[in-house]
Amino acid sequence: MMQARSLLSVVPVVAMVLAMAGCGPTPPASFRLNMVEAVSPTAEKDSVASDQELTPEQQKQVATILLAMFGTPDEPVCLPEAGLDPAKLRLAAGPVRSDIVGRKNGLFREHCVHCHGITGDGLGPTAAFLNPYPRDYRPGIFKFKSTERADKPTHPDLVRVLNNGIPGTSMPSFALLSPIEVVALVEYVKYLSIRGETELALMRQFFELDEEDKGRLSETREFLIAEVLEPIAAKWTTAADAVIEVPAMPANLDLAASIEKGRELFYGDKANCVKCHGVTSLGDGQANDYDDWSKNIVKIDTKLDGIATGDADAKERQWAAEFRQVLAGDALKPRTIPPRNLRQGIYRGGRRPVDLYYRIHAGINGAPMPAAKGTVAPEDIWHIINYVRSLPYGLDGELGADRSVAVRPASAPGLASREEK
Amino acid sequence: MDASITRIIPLMVLAALAAGCGPGRVVGPVADAAAAATLRTALLSSEAGKAATESAPVGTGWATLKGRFLFAGTPVERTVLVVDKDMEFCSPHGMKLYDQSLRIDPSTKGLADVVLFLRKSTRVKEASPPSEPLVFDQKNCEFITPVFASRVGQPVDVRNSDMTGHNTNIATTPFNQSIPAQGSAIYKPASETGMPISVTCNIHPWMKAYAVFRKDGYVAVSSVDGSFELPDLPAGEPLEFQVWHPRAAAGLKLDRPDLKWNPKGRFQITLEPDVLKDIGTLEVPAAALSGS
Repeated sequence: MMQARSLLSVVPVVAMVLAMAGCGPTPPASFRLNMVEAVSPTAEKDSVASDQELTPEQQKQVATILLAMFGTPDEPVCLPEAGLDPAKLRLAAGPVRSDIVGRKNGLFREHCVHCHGITGDGLGPTAAFLNPYPRDYRPGIFKFKSTERADKPTHPDLVRVLNNGIPGTSMPSFALLSPIEVVALVEYVKYLSIRGETELALMRQFFELDEEDKGRLSETREFLIAEVLEPIAAKWTTAADAVIEVPAMPANLDLAASIEKGRELFYGDKANCVKCHGVTSLGDGQANDYDDWSKNIVKIDTKLDGIATGDADAKERQWAAEFRQVLAGDALKPRTIPPRNLRQGIYRGGRRPVDLYYRIHAGINGAPMPAAKGTVAPEDIWHIINYVRSLPYGLDGELGADRSVAVRPASAPGLASREEK
Repeated sequence: MDASITRIIPLMVLAALAAGCGPGRVVGPVADAAAAATLRTALLSSEAGKAATESAPVGTGWATLKGRFLFAGTPVERTVLVVDKDMEFCSPHGMKLYDQSLRIDPSTKGLADVVLFLRKSTRVKEASPPSEPLVFDQKNCEFITPVFASRVGQPVDVRNSDMTGHNTNIATTPFNQSIPAQGSAIYKPASETGMPISVTCNIHPWMKAYAVFRKDGYVAVSSVDGSFELPDLPAGEPLEFQVWHPRAAAGLKLDRPDLKWNPKGRFQITLEPDVLKDIGTLEVPAAALSGS
């Protein structure tokens, strides 16, 4: 009996040792190929078809070109045409370590990788547990910035996101890092994004090949640098020219009148905020839409469902089943994107009036939020901002007062019991 | 009691081991390190292959290509869309909206919305895009032209003839603009699309159209009777056209060996100067339109 018990106490230790040994030595960090794109290399994911999938040789060519152009997570390479600073990248890349003067290196892996993933694909080990999901940098789409809708964020935009974090999400503030460290991380995010966009561009180029190309991309400087890399890198270097010009809020504004005008615009046909943010501004209008990242997965999923339930042949079904396996590892379960609840006073892209101006003027890239520029005059945008900023406050001026109570039916469950208390 | 626990433990250890490494993600091919090193050296040398290869013009004169797409199958009834918002504007007097992705003319079986565009050429007749805007309108919460084509640089006048607000979101472009009731906004496409891209309204999710923008403007969309005509094409050089339909979004595949029609939905033809070339009827079997 005693023997059995002492044996029992050893077993967990043995099991742990075995479990640790089971996964073998850790291989050096490597970038993952964008497998969802390798199977469906199209801009429009509802046109996904089995004959578009890149062959293993084509996938290998993309991996090889990317290795040549961008190196590895431990040893990033930047071609001069990428417009990146190698010294900053070195500080952010590689395993966490201290250099000879005691300066911390490997910042991305220390601070970012568990959510954003080693490849910047937003598929770090923590990602599935977060809502919203961490950003996937690879499509090169960023939401919170001072530039026009499709333009890249400026350098200060990304620095601001790192310093302030993103309220209402899991993105924390990194204000405790030194400015040099923050700048190094911003450079590394750009590097991962340029790498990811290059990968997408390369994969989509296979469809454009002619028959005499025999299924291989050209590996000339002219193609890889001039045609693929430079246009992607240029969007980052020209971002500063695309900053939205914000006219000053009209002087001597009567705030109450401005809020009232903003309210009319909010509910009116011109700005039409009500359609998505809802009559209560709780974000309960159009609530079954997806952002661009999730939308692609939803489209693929619908397509694969169609193959499973339709009259596709066995080969096509097999392809669909294999694609599902890729999705299981390389995509997170799509979630709808709720329009922002404007009663909470939490603004992901920043709470300064100018941040709200950028959001309304240009919309939010990657999200359904459309641009109001051109159809709503600048002074009207200011009225909407004043109205939106008044929303989190109750009629008594207190923050957090939930005016939606007024529109709920009196008999709603929960409401009565709250009042009884 | 203890004995039974000891008996279960090996199983538990096995289960823990199996779970330990987690479900495997599908791993793609690994890069060829030696080839990558060689390529990197080539890319870093500023000399190699820098000369731009502007292709020399081939042939002279201009020609027109025309033809007609016919649906070779039994037309199925169009699906009624679920309309659940702004009913007074989107479904006045109980009006129904139908799926626009397969429009077949009931009398002639003409297949509308087939897109043809020239993949590349050495010459273009009209050097600059037209300055007059192309109107893209919406009414009763439906895009009036389900597929439209425009030349890069030509302004597109995105209109809203409804009494309710819309937003028009052209995928992969910078354009996602709120369009007030009875209002409009101008979009000037700055770059070429490959295959057509989707145009949606996020407020009314059933609304869907497609847009295609080409630099040279050599693009046609088949009309309601299935016919198309592409004028001013460069004659005397081999031309390759990409053909697309909303239900054949990966390329419309036809069995036409005479036109060297390939599995990517492309065909080839060389035109003679000042000739109106009619390639006649192109029959599209239902199976070719099985995609989304």
